[in-house]
Amino acid sequence: MAKTKKRTRQIREREQAKAKVYVIGESPMVEEYAELCSRHGYGVLVDWNEQQKGTTSFETAAIKRSRSVPPDTSVAVELTNIDVEQKRTNLERLDKALPPTAAILSSSVTVTATEQSSWIRYRNRLVGISALPALIERPLVEVAPTVFSPKETLEVVRRFFQSIGKELAFVQDRVGLVLPRILCQIINEASFALQEEVALPQDLDTAMKLGTNYPFGPIEWADRIGLKQVVAVLSALERDLQEDRYRSSPLLRQIAQSGVWWKQA
Amino acid sequence: MIKHLGVVGAGTMGAGIAQVAALSNIDVALYDINGTLLRQALERIKADFKRGIEKGKLTQEQTTEAFSRIHPRTRLSDLSHAEIILEAAIEDLRIKKDLFKHLESDTKPSTLLASNTSSLSITAIASATQIPERVIGMHFFNPAPIMKLVEVVQGQKTSQDAVQRAIDLARHFGKTPVVVKDTPGFIVNRVARPFYGEALRLLGENVASVEEIDRIVKVEGGFAMGPFELMDHIGLDVNLSATQSMYDQFFGEPRYRPHPIQKRMVESGMLGKKSGQGFYKYAEEK
Repeated sequence: MAKTKKRTRQIREREQAKAKVYVIGESPMVEEYAELCSRHGYGVLVDWNEQQKGTTSFETAAIKRSRSVPPDTSVAVELTNIDVEQKRTNLERLDKALPPTAAILSSSVTVTATEQSSWIRYRNRLVGISALPALIERPLVEVAPTVFSPKETLEVVRRFFQSIGKELAFVQDRVGLVLPRILCQIINEASFALQEEVALPQDLDTAMKLGTNYPFGPIEWADRIGLKQVVAVLSALERDLQEDRYRSSPLLRQIAQSGVWWKQA
Repeated sequence: MIKHLGVVGAGTMGAGIAQVAALSNIDVALYDINGTLLRQALERIKADFKRGIEKGKLTQEQTTEAFSRIHPRTRLSDLSHAEIILEAAIEDLRIKKDLFKHLESDTKPSTLLASNTSSLSITAIASATQIPERVIGMHFFNPAPIMKLVEVVQGQKTSQDAVQRAIDLARHFGKTPVVVKDTPGFIVNRVARPFYGEALRLLGENVASVEEIDRIVKVEGGFAMGPFELMDHIGLDVNLSATQSMYDQFFGEPRYRPHPIQKRMVESGMLGKKSGQGFYKYAEEK
């Protein structure tokens, strides 16, 4: 029994070694996903969005940059949250180049998977995932199937994430999914407090870590995720849910543009 | 450092603060109008000291000495020699204002008057006194002997000197003070609002179940507890009233709007762990 199990695993690993993953989108998510897939035996090809061309080198030499999408790709991962127009272009390109059986896992943090699937021809192949820079390394990924996702696609998704060591949580296809929505609202609240000069930025982090046992303070979270990402999530929530509740603070937007948290007095 | 501290209110927080002070070599006059509550507080402190010894964190000597420094008092005027008074009475503005008025007339003008309020305005409490400059907030977290954070809340008229004295006291207790402007919820109760509020909305919109949201927040986010577990732990009634208070104090700001799910649960008596059932079931209770 043990022998057959081992044999099956070997076959699967060999298949995996041959299987190709194509990763496209924003830095540093592209790098993080590429390293993750490569570590688990996939052949990985990557590309970045126009404005972020060729910015990084990889720890793993096997990861190659490729402008074109190889037709033998088995899974494509689209990781764009900020520039939704670019995301659409990427998805259309993936859809044209890939055989109809190849699945597309696409970040649905700022636009629902359902809307994304309306942009492509083979819409049953696209499934939404939670993707933000600091979350890719975490052992769980949220998956948002659309009304078009057949069992077969979900099975591919399940096997893929299992093969890269992640557990899944299926959620409804809504902008912000679960964790990105909660986290970005915590960061937003902290930025409103900062804007009102309720406390110093480092004290906000200290207070949340010591007072509520958060793993990171809101400002640490914001820096890990990236301010532009946070603002993109909040803007998408505001647009999608049409509620003032998700309005980002002017300070947060300013920090996202300037890249500087606060002026030292 | 100061020699004499007055603590007003022998509930969980008052007793916890008295315990911390006594362990940092400060004499504590622990006041409560209710003698039974005072006796119970001393019993709780004794039991906590015993656990500390068993765990090897405290010595017999240390606790005997500390315990002898806590003096139960049932008259407010017995606190007159204290250099700092920490008030930890119930969260009721009328009661606190009345207490501070009396504390002011019973103490020297140099005595620092601090409130442990978590939700009331320090400025409003200070308005009951003649010298609001010496009134400040020192918000400890439950359980006070363990939690390291103290929010030092600067009211509209609180002096810099008062802030410094509160910071020094917190440090002497081995705590980490952060200075906060007197705004609703201070830091922690405010910035933590979306953790619960968004989770409730996600549940209300059927994006995911209670169990799934908690699992996602813990495994994907790395949080020690999920929002629903935490609400059950805190008590849904306590959590709702904190949210309601923020919403009212910010004059209806939509970010703080309470959720009907929580309100219904409180109405039905599903308050979390303490009632045996909240978002999760805890014990068979009939």
